[in-house]
Amino acid sequence: MSPKVRRLVKLLARLPGVGEKTAQRYVLWLLTSEESLSRELGDELSRLRDELGPCERCGNVGEIHEGRALCDVCTDGKRDAKLLCVVARVHDLMAIERAGAMRGRYFVLGKLLSPLEGIGPEDLPLDRLVARIREDGVTEVIVATPPSVDGEATALLLKRELGPLGVAVSRIASGVPHGGDLEFADPITMGRALAGRQRL
Amino acid sequence: MHQLAIESLTARGFRNLEPLEISLGPGFNVFAGDNGQGKTNLLEAVYLLATSRSFRTGRLLELVAHGQEAAAVRAAVVEEGIRREQSVGLRRGLRAARIDGKRPASLAAYAVNTPVVAFHPGSVTLSTGSGAERRRVLDRIALYREPGVLGAVEAYAKALRSRQRVLEQRGEHSRDLDDWEDLLVRHGQALRAHREAAAAELGPAVEAAFLAIGPEGSELAVRYAPGGPAGEEAFRAALVRDRARDQARRSASVGPHRDDLVLELNARPVRGVASQGQHRAVVLALHLAEIDVVARARSVRPILLLDDVSSELDRGRTDALLRALSNRSGQVLLTTTRPELMEIGRLREGSRRDFRVIAGQIAVA
Repeated sequence: MSPKVRRLVKLLARLPGVGEKTAQRYVLWLLTSEESLSRELGDELSRLRDELGPCERCGNVGEIHEGRALCDVCTDGKRDAKLLCVVARVHDLMAIERAGAMRGRYFVLGKLLSPLEGIGPEDLPLDRLVARIREDGVTEVIVATPPSVDGEATALLLKRELGPLGVAVSRIASGVPHGGDLEFADPITMGRALAGRQRL
Repeated sequence: MHQLAIESLTARGFRNLEPLEISLGPGFNVFAGDNGQGKTNLLEAVYLLATSRSFRTGRLLELVAHGQEAAAVRAAVVEEGIRREQSVGLRRGLRAARIDGKRPASLAAYAVNTPVVAFHPGSVTLSTGSGAERRRVLDRIALYREPGVLGAVEAYAKALRSRQRVLEQRGEHSRDLDDWEDLLVRHGQALRAHREAAAAELGPAVEAAFLAIGPEGSELAVRYAPGGPAGEEAFRAALVRDRARDQARRSASVGPHRDDLVLELNARPVRGVASQGQHRAVVLALHLAEIDVVARARSVRPILLLDDVSSELDRGRTDALLRALSNRSGQVLLTTTRPELMEIGRLREGSRRDFRVIAGQIAVA
């Protein structure tokens, strides 16, 4: 194998979910299929980090203009600035955006409390979150961390840290998916759905 | 009560067993042979098939025969007249369980599908050993009653490790300690409720089983001893109080991880006072009770695996055990070096099948 190919395979194999074999398939595909594909991809990739970066307000993916990155949620004037949804990762933000039901803005923590991985409260951007809440006059914070043990602990920490600011802090509900038959819900989800039942 | 039985079993590459294919009866299946021939290995294969685990070792690679790449056990299991195909395969770094060719949602979900209870010489530690194994029995029973228990068990364990790590690495004034303790309380209370309910069912069943198979004139009492105070507030207060101590001892002083199922023989703790024979009777009573409780929860009688009972129990108690089992009508696989002691044919005519185990080969006797 040519050293150039080997080098590209090694680079591609560092992507999540891509192993050496898949990387090799990609390289051969890029070499043998339409030439424009690899050229366009190369162009886009080389400009990627100059044009996109984490939004300086929320951490979402944003476009960089004049050295500042802002995402389209933060620049969208129709969003309710008083409602803030805190998520662990950009993936989670995108999942909530896909639903289209969130009319407020976001704050991406980037990580969850996890002592077993050495992540403590000091490693979370709590100061930035508090500053954001004060600046925007946020009145309600929705904590949308995942329902894992680390996600729950992070939610509890946020409740405790944000409580003194006088904002309402709520947690997203957890339960059975819409449109799915109840029989397909796993026992843990079903247990949560029952525990979190609401009066009709 | 549904009938649950393994109809046929095949195994390849499993310990010393030659590739085998046997048909089992719905009642007693007696595997006779000298020591070291592979009797226990056969029961272990059945246990692996049902639970995807071993009752002997946590290192499943030990189960793969020397010189083989993989081990596989497969069986036709009949429950309530419906036949299903189950298999568990092992190779380095891989454990694959299938039901009718499909992957189960999780290995835990797989394990509650075909309830089995195993009694083997090593299980005496259930009576002689620490509370950890008795907690596992309680959790297993709770799991059959309510599958959601697994979530509480796992979440509690993770919150417990996390709080300990915070204490040891960041000290007792770390900001997130309260949060981890909140989680410990939440999941700990759920776990405690599950265990209390499991113990309330198991306790009386163990006591009754011990009366049937235990020595004359001895009485066994069983009760759940929680490892922490009752009530959320008291539990939380105890956690806060013990922070410095827990940091120094490197483990939490209170909580469900210190629960026990206390066993008392004639009002004295079994640990310490019981003879070897009494310990075995206690463990057998626990297993028989587990069968009864799981049968009630799942409406299906677990398959019982009895390894080498005749060396574990004296003649009189072996008879009492077999009598107790005959009244329970489930499938039993038992091994013995002395098949002549197993006089169960009289009790359940036609429900007994005999096998000989010699050098890893199993043949109908």
